[in-house]
Amino acid sequence: MNRAPGLKTYAVIYLLFLYGPILILPLFAFNDASIVAFPLAGFTTKWFAEMWADPNLWKALKNSLIIALSTATLSTVLGIFAARSSVRYKWPGKPVVMGFIMLPLVLPEMIVAMSLLIVLLGIGINLSIFTVIMGHVLMCTPFAVAILTSAFQSLDRSLEEAALDLGESAASTFRLIILPLVMPGILSSFLITFTISIDEFIVANFLGSGQPILSVYIFGQFRFPAKVPSMLALGTILVGVSVVLLAIAEYFRRRGIARTGGKDTGGFL
Amino acid sequence: MTFSPDRPTMIEFRDVHKYYGDYHALRGINGTIRAGEFFSLLGPSGCGKTTLLRTIAGFEGIDNGAVLIDGKDMAKVPANARPTNMVFQSYAIFPHMSVAENVGFGLRRDPRSRTEKAAAVEEALEMVGLKGYGARAAHALSGGQRQRVALARALILKPKVLLLDEPLSALDKKMREHMQVELIKLQRQVGITFILVTHDQEEALVMSDRIAVMFEGQIAQLADPETLYRRPNGRKVADFIGTMNFIPCQILSETGGRIEVEAKGLGRVMLDEDQVPPARGEGEPVVGLRPETLTMLYPGQEPQERAVAGRIDEVIYFGDMTYYDVFIGGTDVEVRLSMRNVPGRPVLDVGTEVQLAWSPSALVLFR
Repeated sequence: MNRAPGLKTYAVIYLLFLYGPILILPLFAFNDASIVAFPLAGFTTKWFAEMWADPNLWKALKNSLIIALSTATLSTVLGIFAARSSVRYKWPGKPVVMGFIMLPLVLPEMIVAMSLLIVLLGIGINLSIFTVIMGHVLMCTPFAVAILTSAFQSLDRSLEEAALDLGESAASTFRLIILPLVMPGILSSFLITFTISIDEFIVANFLGSGQPILSVYIFGQFRFPAKVPSMLALGTILVGVSVVLLAIAEYFRRRGIARTGGKDTGGFL
Repeated sequence: MTFSPDRPTMIEFRDVHKYYGDYHALRGINGTIRAGEFFSLLGPSGCGKTTLLRTIAGFEGIDNGAVLIDGKDMAKVPANARPTNMVFQSYAIFPHMSVAENVGFGLRRDPRSRTEKAAAVEEALEMVGLKGYGARAAHALSGGQRQRVALARALILKPKVLLLDEPLSALDKKMREHMQVELIKLQRQVGITFILVTHDQEEALVMSDRIAVMFEGQIAQLADPETLYRRPNGRKVADFIGTMNFIPCQILSETGGRIEVEAKGLGRVMLDEDQVPPARGEGEPVVGLRPETLTMLYPGQEPQERAVAGRIDEVIYFGDMTYYDVFIGGTDVEVRLSMRNVPGRPVLDVGTEVQLAWSPSALVLFR
């Protein structure tokens, strides 16, 4: 298989460009020097210790987790309603309504954040992590709807009718048949929206009212050159956690597909 | 046919209409289906047969008229409360459950104990020939096995009516023929009314006590298979069921119910009342003649009734049978006839001059 050596080279360069910078993270996180530059000065774990000892990090992490978990839960639940309704039912104005739900995908985030800020201040709502959650739900719901729509679309309509035919109500049919079969989609949606929320910066910065939030915290720390290595240490941990989370999600997704005998139509890994 | 016509009515359609937007899907369906009957809804795709089945199940509402099951109007009865169960075209086996969980799904609200339910599931599986398959994953089954699971799942609830939506269309030919016989046996065994939707006329003829032939949202003819085949009530039904030769004819005279016609190539024929279906306005008059009612005579053999000379135009060999297309009576009218390939009867060549025996009573007039 050596018909297109150009393509192979292209693929290797592409991957290097994509992951090279991320590989730099752990390199300098363990480097015994406060400036990020070659040559490497020796091995140390002190940046991890320094990062670990910063109480602001823990506050930011806690807030971010609250925001991301709430956002993922809310937008996935909203996504289930919207996707189910758009796939299964006909109602007047559906294209318009679905269009508006999906619109935040393409709206500039900066504009959304600014207008939200103006409106919230205008009606006198105090900024807090709750306002950040609101903003994030707005942004993440379109992703949830997109993922869940394809999950609901792959359901054979006869399955529902069969459950009804065998005496179940609409509610118990949803619980016993539909929900288990779209569960991989729900997990995907939860994971994606969680990931989007946890590293989102603009809305968090505008609507967070100076609360420590992970992305805002990291951005702030970069102003101090001495803090950069400990932020690289934090980044290293975040990358590690992301890979583990993704692997777990993919494991469950593949198991779900194998259990129902479906065809694997691609996932994250 | 062991079916007795004096059984009580199980399903009654009273002027059933159904619209999808502007599309008039069911256009005044009337008719009854009797208890314990194996009934088929037969027609080309888009004729409304599946829609009609779904109005019985309760998956489709109707816009006018009434559907009665066992004497009760079903207008306000939702699908999950109707005494019907359905075998879906896709089988709709729940992929995240085992075979036993699928079959026992309808028993969830049954007050019986767990062991009694398990016994009922095992019994249902045995009935469809899947004894011991309960623990298997449903998605690992073959097409034929899924079909059986779907049957067991529907029959375990002992419905008054079992609805089958093209259940055999996804199977290969051998399996389909095998399942046809099994379904007939199963229906006799359980005695439940079976209603089958199919576009396959052969399947309908083989399996049914009675058949409703549907075109464009209406029942064209509702009759037993033999009547449908021998005395179709219109050209469309005749054309849809089996093969029918249509021969142009002229109507010479009508006396009482009897009609004398001059059929091109066949000559003058007197037709009895039962050979003239009442349907009219189907274009130029023709007489219909089934391929197997024509017989090719051996040289020197005398016909029992009438004979016509012909020349073979095409020979189609099927192994047990040979089909011949023959120009008759020196005209451009071509008829198809089927001959069994018995020992001593050679397959003839194209161009051979032959004598065809035929019987006036086999003709049906369409006008």
